[in-house]
Amino acid sequence: MNATAVVFHAEFKRRVTSRPYLVATVIGALSVILLALLPKLFGSALGPDANHIILVGDPRLTSVAAKLLAKDFTVAARRTALVGTPDSAYLEAHGRVAAVAVLGRDGERLRVLIYARDPSAFGGAFGRDLAPLQIAFSTGMSVADIQRHAVVAVEVRGVGGRFSNASAANTAKGIAYLFIILLYVAILLNAQAIMASVAEEKTSRIAELLVATIDPAQLLTAKVLASAATGVIQLAVWIAAGGAAGGAIVGIFGESSSSGVPLDLGPIALPPGEILTLVAFFLVGFVQYAVLYAAAASLINRTEDLGAVAGPLVAPVVLGFALAQFGVLAPNSAAVAIFSQIPLLAPFVMFARIAVASVPAWQIVLSLVVNLTVAVALAWLSGKIYRVGLLLYGRPPSFAQVMKILRT
Amino acid sequence: MGTLILSNVARSFGDVVAVRDVSFTVPAGTTFGLLGPNGAGKTTTMRMILGILVPDGGTVTWDGAPVDYEIRRRFGYLPEERGLYGKLRVREQIAYFGRLHGIIPPDDAKRAAAWIERLGLGAYADRPCAELSKGNQQKVQIACAALHGPELLVLDEPFSGLDPVNAETLLELLRGLQRGGATLILSSHQMWQLEDLCESFGVIAGGTVRAGGTLPELRASWPTRIVEVEPVSDALRDVLDATPGAKRLPQGDRPTLAYEVPSDADTAGLLRRLVAAGDVTRFERVEPSLRDIYLRAIGAAA
Repeated sequence: MNATAVVFHAEFKRRVTSRPYLVATVIGALSVILLALLPKLFGSALGPDANHIILVGDPRLTSVAAKLLAKDFTVAARRTALVGTPDSAYLEAHGRVAAVAVLGRDGERLRVLIYARDPSAFGGAFGRDLAPLQIAFSTGMSVADIQRHAVVAVEVRGVGGRFSNASAANTAKGIAYLFIILLYVAILLNAQAIMASVAEEKTSRIAELLVATIDPAQLLTAKVLASAATGVIQLAVWIAAGGAAGGAIVGIFGESSSSGVPLDLGPIALPPGEILTLVAFFLVGFVQYAVLYAAAASLINRTEDLGAVAGPLVAPVVLGFALAQFGVLAPNSAAVAIFSQIPLLAPFVMFARIAVASVPAWQIVLSLVVNLTVAVALAWLSGKIYRVGLLLYGRPPSFAQVMKILRT
Repeated sequence: MGTLILSNVARSFGDVVAVRDVSFTVPAGTTFGLLGPNGAGKTTTMRMILGILVPDGGTVTWDGAPVDYEIRRRFGYLPEERGLYGKLRVREQIAYFGRLHGIIPPDDAKRAAAWIERLGLGAYADRPCAELSKGNQQKVQIACAALHGPELLVLDEPFSGLDPVNAETLLELLRGLQRGGATLILSSHQMWQLEDLCESFGVIAGGTVRAGGTLPELRASWPTRIVEVEPVSDALRDVLDATPGAKRLPQGDRPTLAYEVPSDADTAGLLRRLVAAGDVTRFERVEPSLRDIYLRAIGAAA
């Protein structure tokens, strides 16, 4: 067994059995499950309050209105008249409803006065739902006829994308957001785990023993690979946990849409080739960050200094994460296409683009080549810093000294 | 088994010259003591032997070949600044370093068990290293360095921090490795331990070798000897004062006349002249100790 394999095996075992890793994996999995179930939890816990209303007015009028409003609201009660102006106490006393809507007819006009806890939550949907009633007053047609005539058969067909309908596209965006969050957390956690491991070996002086036996570049490689492996496992566990929540991840976005249209998951299934591409971008991104974190850790003398050297390295992770949001919203815009080529940012942005759109193959290949090349270059440069930094004790080197190390 | 040869090895850190020009040879199966004050360049020299640092100039060869990673895996190293994985159990720690040196499972575990037994660490075998006393941690580190039966074992200040009992245990351990044919290089400020263990020495100061060789060779190159005479009397003092090149040394509280004379001085003739001058109850030609040689070589004292 060569020394790289020995270190890889030891690092992997140490990491997967470490308490922080196990805790993060379990908490991450629980968080994903919770996130997946959140809409349902909100639906049962907050839904009635948020959508429940009381209708006040002529019983014939409120009866028809209740049917029209049923799509967006639950009518908790109907009253013929209102005594005084409703206040919060009134709403609480009547089943904690969100609003009281007073309906009345003024000739050909339908008049609606809403007393609501949150005025911003009413208006649009209310007016849209009751429009057939207004038209009935103006034209003398029956509400049923108006509803029948008002149905417009709209069909949206995706062009230049992988999604054949709006529902699938929305679902894919939701999943992309979730994947980006997982990628962000996985890179931060595991790259920082490498940092802690390097710092431990340096501050406890084991590093000198190790580099007497194994080339520092091999040592760094073994550590990065072991951490990447544990990162992939962690990511897989989190995704599997989300899936095991009974397709509830889909529910986050499907149930929150106002359309209520059942979700069509078929078209969003990624082909194996694209899954491999996503894994490749994860690994490339992970290596870029891991080697930088390891090199930074090799320069410190006390574990208390970890935060100081880790701080600047968090910035590109956060920037990449933020830009990935744009990648989901406008995956093929020029700016996003450029960001998806830039090292350290590309793993996040390209990850988002691939998840939601059909990215031209040449862009994916170019980004992979650029980022892989930069990953190798960063590994080489970090290896030089790591080799010197591991045996460097005393005052941490200045930026100029680090540059000097890189030039030697 | 190979011979280690350092030829004109040099190493600087920025503007600081740590090792200027160091050359010495350690024949196979022998033990070499590296002496020098703090900051003399001992640790840097050891790190270059092990390939941890690359020399700016000169060469380090083992059995005629430059020391590469394959050769280094057959070496063992106990650095001055000790380190262990605090959470790793003793047994796992020793086996891990065995594997790093090419010992394949399950042999790593078997050898670890044997070293645990040999070092009396049985009660701690399954405890995390951080829970062990400093002395026991030192034993674990020695096992980590020697588990694979290294052809060359480099020990930087191996006795520092050890109590007399543990120091004796380590001495016995090193004698066992010597008997097994291992080549050892060790540094220590405990001269008597080095004198006891080493066949040859190198004294480094200011990044260069100031003196080197076996103890008889070092003594032979020493320019003076001490002559001690008793009792203290004017007659005897007159004879000694008249001896060419003799230099009286402070007498202190001892009832002894102590003189430094050139190493090629005719001490037999001197004794005859002393006996002719008066009663002589004691006459001794004192050979320089390793400590004397060391202090003279580094320029701290003659």
